[in-house]
Amino acid sequence: MFPILKTGAVMQYPGKRMLQFSTDIVRFLDGTEQRYRDYPALLHRWVIQLDLLDESELAAYDQFFVSNQGSFGSFSFTDPWDGTVYPNCSLAKDTFGFEVRGEMRGKTTVTVCENRT
Amino acid sequence: MLYFPQLSSGATGQFPIQKTRTARTIVNQSVQDYEIKLADPGAATTEWQISFAEMNDQELAALEALFQATEGRLTSFTFVDPTDNLLSWSQEQNQAVWQADPLLALTAGIADPMGGTGAFQVTNTALAVQVLQQSIAAPASLKYCLSVYARSEQTTQLWLVRGSEMIAYTISPEWVRLTSAGQLSSEGDSISFGIALNPGTTVDVFGTQVEAQPGASLYKQTAETGGVYPNARFRDDVMTIATVGPNRHSCQMNIINVEYL
Repeated sequence: MFPILKTGAVMQYPGKRMLQFSTDIVRFLDGTEQRYRDYPALLHRWVIQLDLLDESELAAYDQFFVSNQGSFGSFSFTDPWDGTVYPNCSLAKDTFGFEVRGEMRGKTTVTVCENRT
Repeated sequence: MLYFPQLSSGATGQFPIQKTRTARTIVNQSVQDYEIKLADPGAATTEWQISFAEMNDQELAALEALFQATEGRLTSFTFVDPTDNLLSWSQEQNQAVWQADPLLALTAGIADPMGGTGAFQVTNTALAVQVLQQSIAAPASLKYCLSVYARSEQTTQLWLVRGSEMIAYTISPEWVRLTSAGQLSSEGDSISFGIALNPGTTVDVFGTQVEAQPGASLYKQTAETGGVYPNARFRDDVMTIATVGPNRHSCQMNIINVEYL
Protein backbone atom coordinates (compact mmCIF):
# COMPACT_ATOMS: atom_id res chain seq x y z
CA MET A 1 0.00 0.00 0.00
CA PHE A 2 1.35 3.40 -0.99
CA PRO A 3 2.49 5.32 2.11
CA ILE A 4 0.49 8.27 3.33
CA LEU A 5 1.75 11.10 5.48
CA LYS A 6 0.79 11.43 9.14
CA THR A 7 -1.62 14.16 8.15
CA GLY A 8 -3.46 11.62 6.01
CA ALA A 9 -2.35 13.34 2.80
CA VAL A 10 -0.58 11.60 -0.07
CA MET A 11 1.00 14.68 -1.62
CA GLN A 12 2.15 18.15 -0.72
CA TYR A 13 2.01 21.29 -2.83
CA PRO A 14 3.24 21.72 -5.50
CA GLY A 15 1.64 18.53 -6.77
CA LYS A 16 2.23 17.54 -10.33
CA ARG A 17 0.37 15.04 -12.47
CA MET A 18 0.68 14.14 -16.10
CA LEU A 19 -1.72 12.61 -18.55
CA GLN A 20 -0.23 10.71 -21.42
CA PHE A 21 -1.59 9.39 -24.70
CA SER A 22 0.50 7.61 -27.28
CA THR A 23 -0.08 8.83 -30.82
CA ASP A 24 2.05 7.89 -33.79
CA ILE A 25 2.17 10.11 -36.86
CA VAL A 26 3.03 9.02 -40.38
CA ARG A 27 3.81 12.01 -42.53
CA PHE A 28 3.54 11.62 -46.31
CA LEU A 29 5.51 13.28 -49.10
CA ASP A 30 2.66 15.65 -49.96
CA GLY A 31 2.62 16.96 -46.39
CA THR A 32 -0.48 15.20 -45.26
CA GLU A 33 -0.28 12.93 -42.30
CA GLN A 34 -2.04 10.03 -40.75
CA ARG A 35 -2.31 9.73 -37.03
CA TYR A 36 -3.15 6.61 -35.11
CA ARG A 37 -3.13 5.41 -31.56
CA ASP A 38 -0.43 3.04 -30.35
CA TYR A 39 -2.93 2.12 -27.67
CA PRO A 40 -6.20 3.68 -26.59
CA ALA A 41 -5.43 4.09 -22.92
CA LEU A 42 -4.79 7.35 -21.13
CA LEU A 43 -1.95 6.80 -18.68
CA HIS A 44 -1.34 8.90 -15.58
CA ARG A 45 1.81 9.89 -13.79
CA TRP A 46 2.17 11.72 -10.48
CA VAL A 47 5.28 13.51 -9.24
CA ILE A 48 5.11 13.62 -5.45
CA GLN A 49 7.45 16.15 -3.88
CA LEU A 50 7.61 15.89 -0.13
CA ASP A 51 9.32 18.18 2.34
CA LEU A 52 9.55 18.46 6.12
CA LEU A 53 8.96 14.76 6.60
CA ASP A 54 9.82 13.10 9.86
CA GLU A 55 11.96 9.99 10.17
CA SER A 56 8.99 7.61 10.32
CA GLU A 57 7.48 8.99 7.14
CA LEU A 58 10.80 8.78 5.30
CA ALA A 59 11.32 5.24 6.54
CA ALA A 60 7.89 4.27 5.20
CA TYR A 61 8.84 5.45 1.70
CA ASP A 62 12.23 3.75 1.99
CA GLN A 63 10.63 0.45 2.93
CA PHE A 64 8.03 0.86 0.21
CA PHE A 65 10.82 1.22 -2.37
CA VAL A 66 12.59 -1.86 -1.01
CA SER A 67 9.46 -3.99 -0.90
CA ASN A 68 8.60 -3.01 -4.49
CA GLN A 69 12.17 -3.63 -5.66
CA GLY A 70 12.17 -0.24 -7.34
CA SER A 71 10.02 -0.02 -10.43
CA PHE A 72 9.37 -3.76 -10.50
CA GLY A 73 6.44 -4.04 -8.13
CA SER A 74 2.93 -2.78 -8.74
CA PHE A 75 0.38 -1.31 -6.37
CA SER A 76 -2.86 0.59 -6.42
CA PHE A 77 -2.67 4.35 -6.16
CA THR A 78 -5.46 6.76 -5.32
CA ASP A 79 -5.31 9.97 -7.32
CA PRO A 80 -5.34 12.70 -4.67
CA TRP A 81 -7.07 15.11 -7.07
CA ASP A 82 -10.24 13.13 -7.61
CA GLY A 83 -10.03 9.98 -5.48
CA THR A 84 -9.94 7.64 -8.44
CA VAL A 85 -8.17 4.38 -7.65
CA TYR A 86 -5.69 3.21 -10.29
CA PRO A 87 -5.10 -0.46 -9.54
CA ASN A 88 -1.92 -1.03 -11.54
CA CYS A 89 0.77 1.54 -10.82
CA SER A 90 4.52 1.38 -10.25
CA LEU A 91 7.30 3.56 -9.09
CA ALA A 92 8.65 5.25 -12.19
CA LYS A 93 12.33 4.99 -11.30
CA ASP A 94 14.74 2.41 -10.00
CA THR A 95 16.25 5.03 -7.72
CA PHE A 96 14.93 6.47 -4.49
CA GLY A 97 16.82 9.03 -2.47
CA PHE A 98 16.14 11.30 0.42
CA GLU A 99 17.94 13.99 2.33
CA VAL A 100 17.65 14.59 6.05
CA ARG A 101 18.66 18.16 6.88
CA GLY A 102 17.69 17.92 10.53
CA GLU A 103 15.19 16.36 12.87
CA MET A 104 11.81 16.14 11.11
CA ARG A 105 13.31 17.85 8.07
CA GLY A 106 13.45 15.12 5.47
CA LYS A 107 12.94 15.72 1.78
CA THR A 108 12.29 13.37 -1.11
CA THR A 109 10.53 13.03 -4.45
CA VAL A 110 8.64 9.98 -5.66
CA THR A 111 7.17 9.50 -9.12
CA VAL A 112 4.30 7.07 -9.58
CA CYS A 113 3.22 5.94 -13.03
CA GLU A 114 0.17 4.03 -14.15
CA ASN A 115 0.92 0.82 -16.04
CA ARG A 116 -0.86 -0.36 -19.12
CA THR A 117 -3.23 -3.20 -18.23
CA MET B 1 36.04 -6.46 12.38
CA LEU B 2 36.23 -3.12 10.61
CA TYR B 3 33.35 -0.80 11.30
CA PHE B 4 32.42 2.81 10.71
CA PRO B 5 33.22 4.73 13.90
CA GLN B 6 30.89 6.87 15.94
CA LEU B 7 31.64 10.45 16.86
CA SER B 8 32.36 11.21 20.49
CA SER B 9 28.71 12.23 20.83
CA GLY B 10 27.72 8.69 19.91
CA ALA B 11 26.27 9.73 16.57
CA THR B 12 27.25 8.00 13.33
CA GLY B 13 26.54 11.01 11.15
CA GLN B 14 25.68 14.67 11.19
CA PHE B 15 22.94 16.47 9.31
CA PRO B 16 22.54 16.71 6.40
CA ILE B 17 22.57 13.04 5.41
CA GLN B 18 21.59 11.82 1.98
CA LYS B 19 20.60 8.25 1.31
CA THR B 20 19.90 6.81 -2.12
CA ARG B 21 18.67 3.34 -2.96
CA THR B 22 18.98 1.97 -6.46
CA ALA B 23 17.28 -1.12 -7.86
CA ARG B 24 17.61 -2.74 -11.26
CA THR B 25 14.58 -3.77 -13.23
CA ILE B 26 14.81 -5.37 -16.64
CA VAL B 27 11.92 -4.18 -18.79
CA ASN B 28 10.69 -5.71 -22.01
CA GLN B 29 8.41 -3.10 -23.54
CA SER B 30 6.04 -3.76 -26.39
CA VAL B 31 5.01 -1.21 -29.01
CA GLN B 32 1.63 -1.01 -27.31
CA ASP B 33 3.42 -0.08 -24.08
CA TYR B 34 2.76 -3.34 -22.34
CA GLU B 35 5.67 -4.19 -20.11
CA ILE B 36 7.14 -7.41 -18.83
CA LYS B 37 9.36 -6.70 -15.85
CA LEU B 38 12.01 -8.76 -14.16
CA ALA B 39 13.58 -7.70 -10.88
CA ASP B 40 17.29 -8.09 -10.31
CA PRO B 41 17.61 -7.87 -6.52
CA GLY B 42 21.31 -8.71 -6.59
CA ALA B 43 22.07 -5.44 -8.35
CA ALA B 44 20.54 -3.26 -5.64
CA THR B 45 22.74 -0.59 -4.10
CA THR B 46 22.38 1.77 -1.18
CA GLU B 47 24.48 4.88 -0.91
CA TRP B 48 24.95 7.46 1.82
CA GLN B 49 26.52 10.86 1.64
CA ILE B 50 27.55 11.93 5.10
CA SER B 51 29.15 15.23 5.98
CA PHE B 52 31.14 15.82 9.13
CA ALA B 53 31.92 19.26 10.49
CA GLU B 54 33.81 20.38 13.58
CA MET B 55 35.36 16.99 14.23
CA ASN B 56 38.08 16.82 16.83
CA ASP B 57 41.43 15.09 16.33
CA GLN B 58 40.31 11.77 17.79
CA GLU B 59 37.18 11.61 15.66
CA LEU B 60 39.13 12.39 12.50
CA ALA B 61 41.81 9.86 13.45
CA ALA B 62 39.19 7.13 13.77
CA LEU B 63 37.78 7.92 10.33
CA GLU B 64 41.23 8.07 8.79
CA ALA B 65 42.20 4.78 10.42
CA LEU B 66 39.18 3.09 8.88
CA PHE B 67 39.90 4.60 5.48
CA GLN B 68 43.47 3.36 5.64
CA ALA B 69 42.47 -0.07 6.92
CA THR B 70 40.00 -0.55 4.08
CA GLU B 71 42.49 0.90 1.59
CA GLY B 72 39.86 3.23 0.26
CA ARG B 73 37.17 1.39 -1.63
CA LEU B 74 39.09 -1.90 -1.78
CA THR B 75 37.73 -3.76 1.23
CA SER B 76 34.48 -3.68 3.15
CA PHE B 77 33.43 -2.65 6.63
CA THR B 78 30.30 -2.72 8.74
CA PHE B 79 28.15 0.37 8.50
CA VAL B 80 25.17 1.06 10.74
CA ASP B 81 22.73 3.32 8.94
CA PRO B 82 22.15 6.48 11.00
CA THR B 83 18.77 6.98 9.34
CA ASP B 84 17.32 3.55 9.96
CA ASN B 85 16.15 1.06 12.56
CA LEU B 86 18.89 -1.54 12.92
CA LEU B 87 16.44 -4.36 13.63
CA SER B 88 14.76 -6.15 10.78
CA TRP B 89 11.12 -7.27 10.87
CA SER B 90 10.41 -4.75 13.62
CA GLN B 91 6.72 -5.65 13.69
CA GLU B 92 6.83 -9.34 12.82
CA GLN B 93 8.18 -11.24 15.77
CA ASN B 94 7.32 -14.58 14.18
CA GLN B 95 10.15 -14.12 11.67
CA ALA B 96 13.26 -16.26 12.07
CA VAL B 97 15.47 -13.29 12.98
CA TRP B 98 13.69 -13.11 16.35
CA GLN B 99 14.79 -15.65 18.91
CA ALA B 100 12.01 -16.34 21.38
CA ASP B 101 12.49 -18.54 24.40
CA PRO B 102 10.30 -21.64 24.07
CA LEU B 103 7.60 -20.76 26.59
CA LEU B 104 6.82 -17.31 25.27
CA ALA B 105 3.41 -17.04 23.58
CA LEU B 106 3.16 -14.37 20.87
CA THR B 107 -0.04 -12.90 19.46
CA ALA B 108 0.10 -10.42 16.58
CA GLY B 109 -2.46 -7.87 15.42
CA ILE B 110 -2.87 -5.98 18.71
CA ALA B 111 -3.88 -2.30 18.70
CA ASP B 112 -0.79 -0.09 18.76
CA PRO B 113 -0.25 3.47 20.03
CA MET B 114 -0.11 4.85 16.46
CA GLY B 115 -3.71 3.83 15.79
CA GLY B 116 -2.89 0.67 13.85
CA THR B 117 -2.72 -2.98 14.74
CA GLY B 118 1.04 -3.47 14.57
CA ALA B 119 1.56 -4.34 18.22
CA PHE B 120 1.90 -7.88 19.51
CA GLN B 121 1.20 -9.49 22.82
CA VAL B 122 3.80 -11.54 24.66
CA THR B 123 2.94 -13.90 27.49
CA ASN B 124 5.47 -15.71 29.59
CA THR B 125 3.95 -19.07 30.48
CA ALA B 126 7.13 -20.34 32.12
CA LEU B 127 8.30 -20.25 35.72
CA ALA B 128 11.48 -18.40 34.76
CA VAL B 129 12.32 -15.21 32.90
CA GLN B 130 11.89 -15.63 29.14
CA VAL B 131 13.55 -13.50 26.48
CA LEU B 132 12.54 -12.35 22.99
CA GLN B 133 15.52 -10.88 21.19
CA GLN B 134 17.21 -10.25 17.89
CA SER B 135 20.92 -10.32 17.22
CA ILE B 136 22.49 -7.88 14.79
CA ALA B 137 25.88 -8.26 13.12
CA ALA B 138 27.27 -4.98 14.37
CA PRO B 139 30.06 -4.27 16.86
CA ALA B 140 28.95 -4.57 20.47
CA SER B 141 31.23 -1.72 21.49
CA LEU B 142 29.18 1.05 19.84
CA LYS B 143 26.69 3.22 21.66
CA TYR B 144 23.18 1.95 21.05
CA CYS B 145 19.69 2.98 22.01
CA LEU B 146 16.97 0.36 22.23
CA SER B 147 13.44 1.73 22.35
CA VAL B 148 10.10 0.00 22.57
CA TYR B 149 6.49 0.94 23.27
CA ALA B 150 4.92 -1.23 25.94
CA ARG B 151 1.81 -1.56 28.08
CA SER B 152 0.19 -4.16 30.27
CA GLU B 153 -3.31 -4.62 31.68
CA GLN B 154 -1.81 -4.95 35.15
CA THR B 155 1.11 -2.95 36.42
CA THR B 156 4.09 -5.18 35.90
CA GLN B 157 7.77 -5.22 35.04
CA LEU B 158 9.34 -5.48 31.61
CA TRP B 159 13.05 -5.90 31.04
CA LEU B 160 14.88 -4.29 28.15
CA VAL B 161 17.80 -6.39 26.97
CA ARG B 162 20.74 -4.56 25.41
CA GLY B 163 23.61 -6.98 25.01
CA SER B 164 24.60 -8.20 28.43
CA GLU B 165 22.67 -5.44 30.18
CA MET B 166 19.09 -5.88 31.37
CA ILE B 167 17.10 -3.00 32.83
CA ALA B 168 13.68 -3.40 34.43
CA TYR B 169 10.87 -0.92 33.82
CA THR B 170 7.45 -0.74 35.39
CA ILE B 171 4.63 -0.54 32.86
CA SER B 172 0.92 0.11 33.28
CA PRO B 173 -2.18 0.04 31.01
CA GLU B 174 -1.01 3.25 29.31
CA TRP B 175 1.38 2.96 26.36
CA VAL B 176 4.82 4.23 27.27
CA ARG B 177 8.02 4.35 25.25
CA LEU B 178 10.89 2.74 27.12
CA THR B 179 14.51 3.30 26.17
CA SER B 180 17.75 1.67 27.15
CA ALA B 181 20.85 3.42 25.88
CA GLY B 182 24.55 3.22 26.48
CA GLN B 183 27.80 1.61 25.55
CA LEU B 184 28.98 -1.81 26.65
CA SER B 185 32.55 -2.80 27.25
CA SER B 186 32.06 -5.91 25.12
CA GLU B 187 34.14 -6.26 21.96
CA GLY B 188 31.98 -8.83 20.18
CA ASP B 189 31.05 -8.74 16.52
CA SER B 190 27.34 -9.01 17.25
CA ILE B 191 24.94 -7.80 19.87
CA SER B 192 21.41 -8.78 20.86
CA PHE B 193 18.48 -6.56 21.71
CA GLY B 194 15.06 -7.47 22.98
CA ILE B 195 12.74 -7.77 25.91
CA ALA B 196 12.46 -10.16 28.84
CA LEU B 197 9.34 -11.02 30.81
CA ASN B 198 8.98 -12.19 34.37
CA PRO B 199 7.07 -15.46 34.89
CA GLY B 200 3.34 -15.23 34.36
CA THR B 201 3.30 -11.72 32.88
CA THR B 202 1.61 -10.51 29.70
CA VAL B 203 2.63 -7.33 27.90
CA ASP B 204 1.71 -5.57 24.66
CA VAL B 205 4.76 -4.43 22.71
CA PHE B 206 5.15 -2.21 19.67
CA GLY B 207 7.83 -0.38 17.74
CA THR B 208 10.98 -2.19 18.75
CA GLN B 209 13.85 -0.09 17.48
CA VAL B 210 17.61 0.00 17.81
CA GLU B 211 19.75 2.90 16.71
CA ALA B 212 23.48 3.44 16.96
CA GLN B 213 23.13 6.74 18.79
CA PRO B 214 22.60 7.90 22.37
CA GLY B 215 18.86 8.60 22.14
CA ALA B 216 15.78 7.30 20.37
CA SER B 217 14.35 8.98 17.31
CA LEU B 218 10.89 8.43 15.85
CA TYR B 219 9.97 4.81 15.27
CA LYS B 220 10.81 3.41 11.84
CA GLN B 221 9.13 0.20 10.76
CA THR B 222 11.37 -2.27 8.96
CA ALA B 223 10.82 -5.46 6.99
CA GLU B 224 13.50 -7.83 5.73
CA THR B 225 16.24 -5.21 5.74
CA GLY B 226 17.42 -3.56 8.90
CA GLY B 227 19.98 -0.79 9.01
CA VAL B 228 23.10 -2.93 9.43
CA TYR B 229 25.30 -3.27 6.35
CA PRO B 230 28.20 -5.67 7.03
CA ASN B 231 29.55 -5.35 3.50
CA ALA B 232 29.65 -1.58 2.99
CA ARG B 233 32.52 0.21 1.29
CA PHE B 234 33.78 3.68 0.67
CA ARG B 235 32.65 4.77 -2.74
CA ASP B 236 35.84 6.65 -3.48
CA ASP B 237 39.57 6.09 -3.14
CA VAL B 238 40.04 9.68 -2.03
CA MET B 239 39.30 11.13 1.39
CA THR B 240 39.48 14.91 1.52
CA ILE B 241 39.89 16.55 4.91
CA ALA B 242 39.59 20.26 5.58
CA THR B 243 41.12 21.61 8.77
CA VAL B 244 39.93 25.08 9.73
CA GLY B 245 41.76 25.32 13.04
CA PRO B 246 43.29 23.28 15.85
CA ASN B 247 41.10 20.28 16.58
CA ARG B 248 38.54 21.42 13.97
CA HIS B 249 38.23 19.18 10.94
CA SER B 250 35.56 18.48 8.38
CA CYS B 251 35.13 15.95 5.62
CA GLN B 252 32.52 14.25 3.53
CA MET B 253 32.25 10.51 3.07
CA ASN B 254 30.38 8.57 0.42
CA ILE B 255 29.53 5.05 1.51
CA ILE B 256 28.01 2.42 -0.70
CA ASN B 257 26.54 -1.01 -0.11
CA VAL B 258 26.37 -3.20 -3.17
CA GLU B 259 24.45 -6.45 -2.83
CA TYR B 260 26.34 -8.41 -5.47
CA LEU B 261 29.82 -7.78 -4.05
